[in-house]
Amino acid sequence: MSGKSFFVDLTKCTACRGCQVACKQWKKLPGEKTVNTGSHQNPPDLSATTLRLVRFSEMEIEGKMNWFFLPDQCRHCLDAPCKSGASLPDSIIQDPDTGAVIYNAKTAKEDAAAIRNSCPYDIPRVDKKTKVISKCDMCNDRVKAGKLPACVQSCPTGTMNFGDRDAMLALAKKALAEAKKKFPGAQLVDEDSVRVIFLTADKPALYAKTLMADATPTRRLYTRQEALAALTRPVRALLG
Amino acid sequence: MTNHWIDLKNSDCILIMGSNAAENHPISFKWVTKAQEKGATLIHVDPRFTRTSAKADIYAPLRSGSDIAFLGGLINYILENDMAFKEYVINATNATFIVGDDYGFKDGMFTGFDEAKHKYDKSKWKFALDEKGAPKRDMTMQNPKCVYQLLKKHYSRYSVKNAVDMTGTPEDKLLAVYKAYASTNKPDRAGTVMYAMGWTQHTVGVQNIRSMSIVQMLLGNMGVAGGGVNALRGESNVQGSTDQALLYHIIPGYMPTPTTAQPKLEDYLKLVAPVSHDPKSMNWKKHYPKYAVSLIKSFYKNAEPAVGYDWMPKLDAGQNASWLVLFDEMLKGKFKGFFAWGMNPACSGANSNKTREGLTKLDWLVNVNIYDNETGSFWQGPGMDPKKIKTEVFMLPCAVSIEKEGSITNSGRWMQWRQQGPKPLGDSRPDGEIIAELADKVRALYKKEGGAFPEPVLGLNWEDMTSAHGFDVHKTAKLINGYYLKDVEVKQPDGSMKVFKAGTQVAAFPALRDDGSTCSGNWIYCGSYVGPDPKDNRSTKRSKEQTPAQAEVGLFPNWSWSWPVNRRVIYNRASVDATGKPYAPQKPILAWNGKGWDIDVVDGGGAPGSVHPFIMQVHGMAQLFGPGLNDGPFPEYYEPLDCPVSSHPYSKVLHNPTALTFKGEKAAVCDPRFPFVCTTYRVTEHWQTGLQTRYQPWLLEAEPQMFCEMSEELAALRGIKNGEKVWLENERGKLWAKAIVTKRFKPFVVQGNIVHEVGIPWHFGWRFPKDGGDAANLLSPSVGDPNTGIPETKAFMVNVRKA
Amino acid sequence: MKLSRRGFLKLSAAAALSTAFGGIGFAMKPTAVDRIAMLKPDWSKQTTTACCYCAVGCGLIVNTALSGTKRAINVEGDPDHPINEGALCAKGASIYQLAEGTPGQKNPRLQKVMYRKPFGTKWEAKSWDWALDRIAKNIKRDRDATFVTKNAQGQVVNRCDGLASVGSAAIDNEECWAYQAFLRSLGLVYIEHQARI
Repeated sequence: MSGKSFFVDLTKCTACRGCQVACKQWKKLPGEKTVNTGSHQNPPDLSATTLRLVRFSEMEIEGKMNWFFLPDQCRHCLDAPCKSGASLPDSIIQDPDTGAVIYNAKTAKEDAAAIRNSCPYDIPRVDKKTKVISKCDMCNDRVKAGKLPACVQSCPTGTMNFGDRDAMLALAKKALAEAKKKFPGAQLVDEDSVRVIFLTADKPALYAKTLMADATPTRRLYTRQEALAALTRPVRALLG
Repeated sequence: MTNHWIDLKNSDCILIMGSNAAENHPISFKWVTKAQEKGATLIHVDPRFTRTSAKADIYAPLRSGSDIAFLGGLINYILENDMAFKEYVINATNATFIVGDDYGFKDGMFTGFDEAKHKYDKSKWKFALDEKGAPKRDMTMQNPKCVYQLLKKHYSRYSVKNAVDMTGTPEDKLLAVYKAYASTNKPDRAGTVMYAMGWTQHTVGVQNIRSMSIVQMLLGNMGVAGGGVNALRGESNVQGSTDQALLYHIIPGYMPTPTTAQPKLEDYLKLVAPVSHDPKSMNWKKHYPKYAVSLIKSFYKNAEPAVGYDWMPKLDAGQNASWLVLFDEMLKGKFKGFFAWGMNPACSGANSNKTREGLTKLDWLVNVNIYDNETGSFWQGPGMDPKKIKTEVFMLPCAVSIEKEGSITNSGRWMQWRQQGPKPLGDSRPDGEIIAELADKVRALYKKEGGAFPEPVLGLNWEDMTSAHGFDVHKTAKLINGYYLKDVEVKQPDGSMKVFKAGTQVAAFPALRDDGSTCSGNWIYCGSYVGPDPKDNRSTKRSKEQTPAQAEVGLFPNWSWSWPVNRRVIYNRASVDATGKPYAPQKPILAWNGKGWDIDVVDGGGAPGSVHPFIMQVHGMAQLFGPGLNDGPFPEYYEPLDCPVSSHPYSKVLHNPTALTFKGEKAAVCDPRFPFVCTTYRVTEHWQTGLQTRYQPWLLEAEPQMFCEMSEELAALRGIKNGEKVWLENERGKLWAKAIVTKRFKPFVVQGNIVHEVGIPWHFGWRFPKDGGDAANLLSPSVGDPNTGIPETKAFMVNVRKA
Repeated sequence: MKLSRRGFLKLSAAAALSTAFGGIGFAMKPTAVDRIAMLKPDWSKQTTTACCYCAVGCGLIVNTALSGTKRAINVEGDPDHPINEGALCAKGASIYQLAEGTPGQKNPRLQKVMYRKPFGTKWEAKSWDWALDRIAKNIKRDRDATFVTKNAQGQVVNRCDGLASVGSAAIDNEECWAYQAFLRSLGLVYIEHQARI
């Protein structure tokens, strides 16, 4: 089956951060000690205890103020490049029903840096104390029990959507057509290669440089072309 | 809110002004977004570009405190361009009323001002009456003394140029807002406004809201789906706590507190029941004597109503006992004991240093809260020497919301019942239990020892609020609804007689009586708990059953219960014409079916056109001319008491001449020491003084410290870099903050000069976290609105410098 | 048959197997908690409530453990509620933490009656009975001392001028009603709260 996907309509996100906290609530993840560094984005980055983070980006474009919000999370890639950073079999697995990319007890034995560096969206993070690498697991427990992921349920505006992949792709296309009326530069991001499909109002890089795989020059590139190619070949062969 | 949250989706144009709804009422954006998806225009007018502005179709910046220039300009725009919805204005507002000869307005002042008392004689603003005593009307609205013409004249000074000059809003933005909003003048289009403390916390707070009400009346937006004037209330039960009258000037159900001007019950009943001589005016307040007597019986059920009235405390006629006065009196040593119940006034009240010093003058303080806080621990706060502070302090731990059952009322007037999850943690207790047990101990002392005027203490109806185990939330809810105290025989519409046995719950407030045979703790809640069983408690209802027409406009009449009488949109009678036909047939909120009314519960009753729509007004009409307010029947432009200008183009009167002020409070007017406008606000992740949220790591990590948002221009001027520590200071106090230097704040051009504005949240306090900062209210002035006494915490002057 | 969204979710939950991956993500422990199982009626009681923050009035579902700590284990939006349809903002989503604090850490809530004597420099823990007895005595002493039957003009006022109160929009309607009735029976007129500020 084609599994599950998220459709995230960023034209509707208000950065209420309900999803950021709902994630911590469900998983009972601790809060972090932070300071104000001159930004509302806090914690400043994803971490082993902050698996999803709303990124804030202020941009003045042609005299018009924009404030872009990105609830960042693991994309649950169809063919997960992070698997290429792993060495043990089944240390990163994909749930056959949902497609969720899941780290497990074996992942802890992996070279965490290699896994992180293999992610084109720079998502996985290592816990400073335990050295265990972690990321969003799609609330696979909730999903398998027929519930929405905690972040999706908490979303008020229709930004976060979740369901069967086909339905989400259809919703994404419909929403894109609608969004283009107000935002001519609107686009879907990497929709063919990921299970978290973002709709942006403008160029993805305006939100964050890691929003789109193509826009990540410093890390191992995993481009849309590669992703498309990956659909027809085993990912290990491609990246190995 | 006149309407309710889901109803926002029915709007064609949503103006968010004096509010930052996306951040402070985030779930409202579920319905705002739905409206936008259907083509509605979203407008945000605010000094700072916020998460709300980010979603708006039009964002217009405005300098804090200049709202009446903006809104007065909109009124003028509508009138000058002849855009008012005339049929509505004639039939639903007092536009046609002739104002009496004593009314006048000249250079910023209305007639009847008493210089010595700083008060108006409001009798100068009366309507001219006909021989029967009803207001004289000119249905053509041509009479120069009719309200419509007076309104037009009053706002003719509110030009676009003046608005731009005072607000600092760019002209193109201002006009874009005017054009978009005025387009809701079509009968089938609705515009709504979402406002909050950004409008109330000014010395012209009430008149800010009045200005918008006038706009809504002119455009026919009151009482309709997707319309109304919607105050976004900021606390889960601030609607309910206001309904239950935890305020000095009212008793439950919005009836005035008795004063020495009404020494006896009959005087009081005369005061609360206005008389109308217009047969089409329902004048609903004529029923208030029934509600007042039933209220007195709910307090003192074994006393005659006249005796119960004597037991109620009376204010001196004209006495103001509101918040700012209370703390002023506290500082002067008036009070021996003080309760801060579920509140943190050491941070929440304007001019915190004054408040905190006031607490040192008390003999004792009872502080009921979930966490240790700046109020309970004031004696160990900054600048305090515990060894010199006499105040005895009791800090009582109370339960959190999920640990108790009871009802709260949301901003849309939905009374919702909460169930108990876990039991209260540790020694904490539900507030009701604490109140009842404390009262029990006080009564035992009076029973045993006697004392000053013990009758009301011993006579209070605790029997109906408690059972063997103490506070009984269901019994109290039933008392608030009301029940028959005696067997009462009532004639039914079909002529038959029906007996209501003593002890039976009253079905709805029209059944309440003024002879002492019914009690009701709050008439507007009569109808909420209509039988003996918990299932008769309508606030627990969770059915989504609705008709297709109700589904269309998002009405859920079987989910919870809304006051009054489960009406979901108040003033809904104004949404139909004289034949009962909805003005907006594609989204009707009410429709006449030939025999009765469908969709919502109709305001008033009877056939279409039989009564004026605004039934709570004595004359049945919405008040374009509002002669009941302390600062004038029309909103007029005045600057905040602390302000960056020395004059304005509307008149020579700089400040609201009736503002609530105190001796010793210094206003900074163009004071070079404090050159920047400062405003206060909230963020999504904290709440009020932050007391409930600062202790929560999931929220604190997102907004960990006091910050000050400022423009890049101001930062450059003061050599401040993003993320650096800065000092804010004025005559009242000083506090540090982390600078957020942002393009989202821009300098304003006011009367040709650059005016900088900064903004700070009011969620922090010295107690916790230690590196979080202190209260924004250290800087805000103790001056207030002349009608409400709400302090001007949204616009004052400060200096900002690098720390 | 028309199923509500939550009804549907319940049905599908019953049909699905709970996952062994639950709770993985943070510093994974060998014994992952089966959070889904804990929500079932065998393990926890489910109650509904309305959010305690702003006045939108969002509905929430609280699950409270039936055994062990008997504390809340999960608080999330109520998908059936017509206003929020399961959604919650950052504050609403954190109500679990308001009640329970951070797992494994001391809950920072006040859990004891605390007392500071005049000129005292520290808090002392006291019993409810001790504190309420003393407050009741203070109320009576100062009410009796400051009660005004007639004002300076000789008009009957029957009020207590020496006591004042602020609060609260954070308590339930029934509690508000009882509180104002109690204060007014004592003769207080300085009764104010959040709505004024």
